[in-house]
Amino acid sequence: MKQAIETSITPSTIDRSFTEEVKKMPGGERVLDCFACGVCSGSCPTRFAMDYSPMQVVRMIQLGLKEKALSTSTIWLCASCQACTTRCPRGIEIPLLMSALKNIAISNNIQSKIEAKPKFHKLFTSIVRDYGRMHEPSLFLRLVKKTDVKALASSAFLGLRLTRKGKVRLKPSKTDKLNRFLSAYEKVNGGDTS
Amino acid sequence: MRYAYFPGCAAHHGSAHEYDLSCKAVSERLGIELVEIPDWNCCGSIDAVYASNPVLSIALAARNLALAEETDLKTVVTLCSACLYTLARANQLRGDYPELEEKVSRVLSEAGLKSGRDSAVRHYLDAVLTDVGYDKISQNVKFPLKGLKVASYYGCLLVRPPKVNHFDDPEHPHSLERLAEALGAKSVDLPDKMRCCGASLVLTEKEVVTDMVHGILVNAKNVGADCIAVACPLCHFNLDARQRDIESEFKVKFDLPILFITQLMGMAFGLQPKELGLDRNCVSPMGLLGRLKPPSDS
Repeated sequence: MKQAIETSITPSTIDRSFTEEVKKMPGGERVLDCFACGVCSGSCPTRFAMDYSPMQVVRMIQLGLKEKALSTSTIWLCASCQACTTRCPRGIEIPLLMSALKNIAISNNIQSKIEAKPKFHKLFTSIVRDYGRMHEPSLFLRLVKKTDVKALASSAFLGLRLTRKGKVRLKPSKTDKLNRFLSAYEKVNGGDTS
Repeated sequence: MRYAYFPGCAAHHGSAHEYDLSCKAVSERLGIELVEIPDWNCCGSIDAVYASNPVLSIALAARNLALAEETDLKTVVTLCSACLYTLARANQLRGDYPELEEKVSRVLSEAGLKSGRDSAVRHYLDAVLTDVGYDKISQNVKFPLKGLKVASYYGCLLVRPPKVNHFDDPEHPHSLERLAEALGAKSVDLPDKMRCCGASLVLTEKEVVTDMVHGILVNAKNVGADCIAVACPLCHFNLDARQRDIESEFKVKFDLPILFITQLMGMAFGLQPKELGLDRNCVSPMGLLGRLKPPSDS
């Protein structure tokens, strides 16, 4: 999966506004401080599955390569485990940075190499809005419905095992008074009902 | 000792309900009073919610801490390492980003809630080990876990990142090993103890997570562990509930019980298996129980 950033970089390919946009987001402010030591990539437990390393994605941001950075599988495969953050000698919070990139990709409807992941984020949020709390069976069912119905069959044994152990509660646990909070959130955040 | 209690969804009503059960049983024995935060909601999951709705994510976390403030208890404890991360991170982001804070505090005041900025957030394990202490834990042991080889698995968010998590050392923690020894067990060193299990990818990148979890289980088997101690419902789900799938995928046999730290404590305290929800673990730990004997001098 390892590859170099093969892009000819000319003044016209550089999107400075992208670097600036990322710098303003939590996790992005120190992106220009990276001196490419590679500790993040060496510490990353999901690097083996990524097309570009976390360090390369940081480099893409520095170089203003917006499309390139947002189309990596890296941003969706970050497990947010904080191993890189703990070790980065420049104090860059890479998982937060990856979340910032996910946020830009989701708000701009940019196609993800890991198709299910943007849907996962939206569906997780929709369940929290509906019930106030997570309900694992609903999340699984909503996700397979939107992505891969075949996953129902391949997860059958796991489902049976969980049911037998009483780990599948069909009725969601709900909050009593989240509605007032959600209305307040929508009012402040400009009617976001996504 | 009294704390505001945030169980988190997985432990409260989801796949890890045995964690909540065993936590309550053990707390009673140790004299810890847990006051559940009234009407608490999803922590706000920085990993899941933040990517699509950052303000909502932080505001959800803040609502929990605001409700905790109404209980007049200064410290919130949680069972879930991922909830711990979100709640603590939300506090830090609110302090560091005035634009975000402006929106979050407006949401809270519109909703008639307190600011939520005065609560400290800690992992339940941190509270038990730091405030109650190893000595009191040892004093409660009735059935020492003698001869049991316990591998401690920290995963990612129990002690990281140091910016928002001040429990133990972020690279070389030893709390879980010390706890296992305080319970009379033999602690075996697990080289992969800090390596993430991939929980946040479990629903979308199953193959990637299968590889990650397989590596951890092989690691534990290689060091001769009888069981693995964990402190997070997501680690538990991956290592316990998915263990059979991983065994058949790689054609190996692990048969490694995965125990919540509270279950392990409860076993040593002599609490009943039912109280600790031991029957809910997918890989049965009942075989381990048979090996425990009360000390001959008691």
